[in-house]
Amino acid sequence: MPVRDLAWRWATSFRLTALALLLASAASLGSSRGEEADSFSQSVKPLLESRCLGCHSASIRKGDLSLSTRQEAVDSGFLVPGAATASHLIDVLRAEHGEPPRMPKEGPPLTDAEIATLAAWIDAGAVWPEGVVLREPSKADASWWSLQPRVVLDPPSHDDAPEGWNDHPIDRFIFAKLREKGLTPNPPATRRELIRRVTYDLTGLAPTPEEVDAFAADTSADAYERLVDRLLASPRYGERWGRHWLDVIRFGESRGFERNEIIDNLWPLRDYVIDAFNRDRPFDQIVREHLAGDVLAPDDAASQIASAFLVAGPYDDVGNQDAIQAAQIRANTIDEIIRTSSEAFIGLTVGCARCHDHKFDPIRQADYYALYATFAGVRHGPRELASQSERDARAAKLAPLEAKRAALTKEREELVARFPEPDERAKSRLSEMDAAIAQANAEIAAIPALPKYWLGTREAAAGPFHVFLGGSPERKGDEAAVSSLGVLDSATAPYRLIAEASEGDRRKAFADWLVQPDHPLTARVLVNRIWHYRFGAGLVPTPSDFGYMGQKPTHPTLLDWLAQRLVDEGWRMKPIHRLIVTSQTYRQSSEWRADAAAADAEASYLWRFPPRRLSAEEVRDSMLAASDAIDQRLGGPGFRLYKYLQDNVATYVPLDEVGRETYRRAVYHQNARAAPVDLMSEFDSPDCSFSTPERAETTTPLQALATLNHDFTLDMAALFAERLQREAPGDANAQVEHAFRLLMNRGPTAEERDACIGFAKEHGLPALGRALFNASEFLYVP
Amino acid sequence: MRNVFEATRRRFLGSLTSGLAGMGLLQLLHGDGFAGRDGFADEASPLTRVAAFPQHPPRAKRVLQIMCPGAASHIDLWEHKPELEKRDGQPLPGEENYVSFQGKNGPLMKSPWPLVPAGQSGKRISSMLPHMAKHVDDIAFLHAMHSETNTHGPGCIFMNTGHEQEGFPSAGAWTSWALGSVNDDLPAYVAIPDLRGEPPNGQANWSNGFLPARHQAIQLSAQRAIRNLARPASITEEEDRATFALAGRLNQAFADSLPSETELAARVSAYELAAKMQLSAPEVSDLSRETAEAHRTYGTDDPNELKAAYARNCLLARRLLERDVRFVQLFCASRASGVDGLLNWDAHKTLKADYERHCPIFDQPTAALLSDLKRSGLLDDTLVLWTTEFGRMPTRQEGTEGRDHNPDGFTCWMMGAGVRGGVSYGATDDFGRRAAVDPTTVWDFHATALHLLGFDHERLMYYYNGLDRRLTDVHGKPIDAVLA
Repeated sequence: MPVRDLAWRWATSFRLTALALLLASAASLGSSRGEEADSFSQSVKPLLESRCLGCHSASIRKGDLSLSTRQEAVDSGFLVPGAATASHLIDVLRAEHGEPPRMPKEGPPLTDAEIATLAAWIDAGAVWPEGVVLREPSKADASWWSLQPRVVLDPPSHDDAPEGWNDHPIDRFIFAKLREKGLTPNPPATRRELIRRVTYDLTGLAPTPEEVDAFAADTSADAYERLVDRLLASPRYGERWGRHWLDVIRFGESRGFERNEIIDNLWPLRDYVIDAFNRDRPFDQIVREHLAGDVLAPDDAASQIASAFLVAGPYDDVGNQDAIQAAQIRANTIDEIIRTSSEAFIGLTVGCARCHDHKFDPIRQADYYALYATFAGVRHGPRELASQSERDARAAKLAPLEAKRAALTKEREELVARFPEPDERAKSRLSEMDAAIAQANAEIAAIPALPKYWLGTREAAAGPFHVFLGGSPERKGDEAAVSSLGVLDSATAPYRLIAEASEGDRRKAFADWLVQPDHPLTARVLVNRIWHYRFGAGLVPTPSDFGYMGQKPTHPTLLDWLAQRLVDEGWRMKPIHRLIVTSQTYRQSSEWRADAAAADAEASYLWRFPPRRLSAEEVRDSMLAASDAIDQRLGGPGFRLYKYLQDNVATYVPLDEVGRETYRRAVYHQNARAAPVDLMSEFDSPDCSFSTPERAETTTPLQALATLNHDFTLDMAALFAERLQREAPGDANAQVEHAFRLLMNRGPTAEERDACIGFAKEHGLPALGRALFNASEFLYVP
Repeated sequence: MRNVFEATRRRFLGSLTSGLAGMGLLQLLHGDGFAGRDGFADEASPLTRVAAFPQHPPRAKRVLQIMCPGAASHIDLWEHKPELEKRDGQPLPGEENYVSFQGKNGPLMKSPWPLVPAGQSGKRISSMLPHMAKHVDDIAFLHAMHSETNTHGPGCIFMNTGHEQEGFPSAGAWTSWALGSVNDDLPAYVAIPDLRGEPPNGQANWSNGFLPARHQAIQLSAQRAIRNLARPASITEEEDRATFALAGRLNQAFADSLPSETELAARVSAYELAAKMQLSAPEVSDLSRETAEAHRTYGTDDPNELKAAYARNCLLARRLLERDVRFVQLFCASRASGVDGLLNWDAHKTLKADYERHCPIFDQPTAALLSDLKRSGLLDDTLVLWTTEFGRMPTRQEGTEGRDHNPDGFTCWMMGAGVRGGVSYGATDDFGRRAAVDPTTVWDFHATALHLLGFDHERLMYYYNGLDRRLTDVHGKPIDAVLA
């Protein structure tokens, strides 16, 4: 900062300080009369805060009026201390000439008594204790449950628990609540049900008939634990669970908005996520790498790729010549990163504090702009991915070739200059040199370019940063410090960076703060997501909102116990999965009981295991797997179920026919935004414009039409029929048996067998496949 | 099976009641004030209404939204600006060097055509819209609309969902969610894209957003049937029937064995509905059932292929409305191609040539559709909305014969159920540059439409990611002046 500016800032701040001192002395004069000060805090402040500050706060300033401080109220002319009749504030609150009062715009008018209170306070000098800034109170304050430190209690013990329910810590917590509610749990699920359930839950695929048979026959005490360990070790686990995380981090492979151009080089982020889950990378490390991997380990490719999280969301790249609009679009882009980060990692809707203090949660507008500063250096786009040694190695290969080319070029220029009209000898020399230059060019071109991926670029984006009043970049408010969320300052160590901190340091500080072991939110939010995907609903039923508008935990002690366990396990997720799926709570049957349902219809307290429908990916993957057509290759560029057309803007036309290159697991589909594709979209695969913490589970005629009539179904039905013939040649009975075991993990009943044999005889085996792909039980996880 | 849908419904009712201090839910459901709620919540059928009920007697039972994407120019179509004509060629006072979306602006440019008096009211609209002139006395024009964005994609999304960002439910999806379907054989919400392609930002314009998937529009046009509707060519009718029967039998038995899992029963009905839709959707799309006169009046036989295609879509829209589809979203034009103004109303450089292409496509078929609705009485309980994403500058784009984007002033209009005809509400300034009198937001527009459908826009809410979400976000006020 130039010295002149500094001096000016000193002068300004001196003037402000002097003014503040003056005001303070005026206020303290008034406050010597303690009675008035009490009247302010007891009746005036609550009235102003609840009825006026919703619009007339420092951050909103509707009608250019703020009543946050005495000075602002006086400057605006709304408050004339000592003279209520001269104060405009009283005018607008009073009904005049039979007209309703002008203020407040929302809610009932103030009562006469309330107006009298305000008038009396003004007449008595409008005493406003020093330093008090009024704010509209958020519905939840710092005492909100999710903002408190974890309270880790030992799992309760019960003498009266059913067999097996007093051993596992999860069961002990769950049973305590069941007993409190007068409920009892279900008996264990059958082995067939259990292996279907746990295999789908951990890998997103059905167990094979052989796996079902082996598990049913395995009488050893640890048969189930070994099954769980096998599934957790399978690469299919990362594909299943990675997909959920990709939903949460709104991973999408097109830019969104008007042009919605496809992004062909973001897939490494998807592979990073799948690999991280498969290797059980600690979650604190994942968080830090998502937010600041490029800063933490610039030479580590995985770390760099992880930070593509920042730019994996939609953004408007149309290009706007209108400066005001361009600034707003840039603010929208950063807003997207703030919302996703705060919802994904700590389950708080910090985005709601963009235009004003959060109306529900104790999040200040200044907190939002601290994150704005944190992400202000992030730009969307591709970037070269290479370590310094890779860059050096490439440069070392290039240098001699470029030197050779430069020398040749120079020599050629001299030759041309020397022989403006070249003779035969010169001509021959020139053509030799042209060939040599071409050769050098070819050698240079042969050195592969460093790979470019959609990692985003970074710019310094130096501060100072400001609050944008009403969210508008045109209206700059107070300076925003780069600091942690104020309301958590006492729960976990805060940070506050100097204004000159680099953009990388700003992101790193935020990431480090999120994963402090005593952070009240990060671990709770993650274990709740895991629980949610195991049981169909979280212990907190709103997985990305742990604030006032979300729901409170059904089992707060279990939530805290699990969160602590995650931290104790070094933030590794597989032990948490293993813990959950080995509980009786998870292993109980899904049988429905009228008496229990009368008390708890949703089974929120888990008196039964809640059955579920397959997800979009599971539906498609299961059809491929049952037909023995699934291509289990891991990673790499994705496949497409649409035709991509680009003419200024992009269009995604769903394919009527799909080829074998699409027979990979659906997690490898190149998911573009606003581009529904057959089967996937019908079965609630989300558009990735936002973070999707919870998928809908709908039932529609369009699903029926897609699974009956799309070409993919017919192709799968044909391959399924081939498999049945191959594996049970010529035996209609065995073919039907095999079909049921492949799709539903059970044999058919006698009645089903007869119906299916008759149907296949008349219409053929492919027709049977098509019909069975439409069986509800195929989509059902018991 | 966990029923997200059920949880949502309770949440909705919860939100609704908590918003109504002192009024009990029962009173809400059975009170006299809600006489208009027909066919409340039939749980057995996944396509029927699910969660809401009108909060006051509705005027409209269904909606036709006509969308002209590309930013159809208010000052060249609907709003007469004498001062602009007078000052043609002069600089725009106060904004002589204004830089808008594509760049610098030149001087004021009058409309290439006169705006001529029409109807009893003498309302002036473009001479390029002779057929629409017949309807001006039934229309309530909103001349002081303004938008938050000057970019087509976000603008279209904003016009259709109340948010600039993708991922929010469209007005049609909200309507489908709130009112459900009257007709189980057809979807509640149909989007009819133009022959030229999807609008800017494509399918996000009819997205269900975070509402359950069944509330997204089904795409259907005279040019394209519902996706996956038809039985594959390789499968005989007999085999198809037997397949439905076998799947139905298995699914019914499975649902019977688990009576508590209502989703399984819903799946059985979903297949029944799919079969019904296979019969009724081709019927509604079969325009050969229309008289030769109807075809002539709409212009389906026009030598201009684009006009004929739009005319067929207008006929289809009427047939859908006649069969009680709740919300029909009809597009006239598409997203941009590489050339501005060719495929839609985005006349950056050659306004005259562009609108001489677009107006004739729009005029006759739209007017014929409106006449039909009026003649048949459908207009009494059908709300018609004409929309575009924003307006155009009164100046010429520097060095061209066209106009740049102008989010600060534009026109939309309403007609039909509960709308006062012959009204012009609000106005832009003398040149058409900015909304000046009674500025109207997109949220006000939606609040008014919801009001006519029987809903208080502040109480039609759906919880998602931290907030009870509304079509009108945290804004909006119904416009009393346009209500009959």
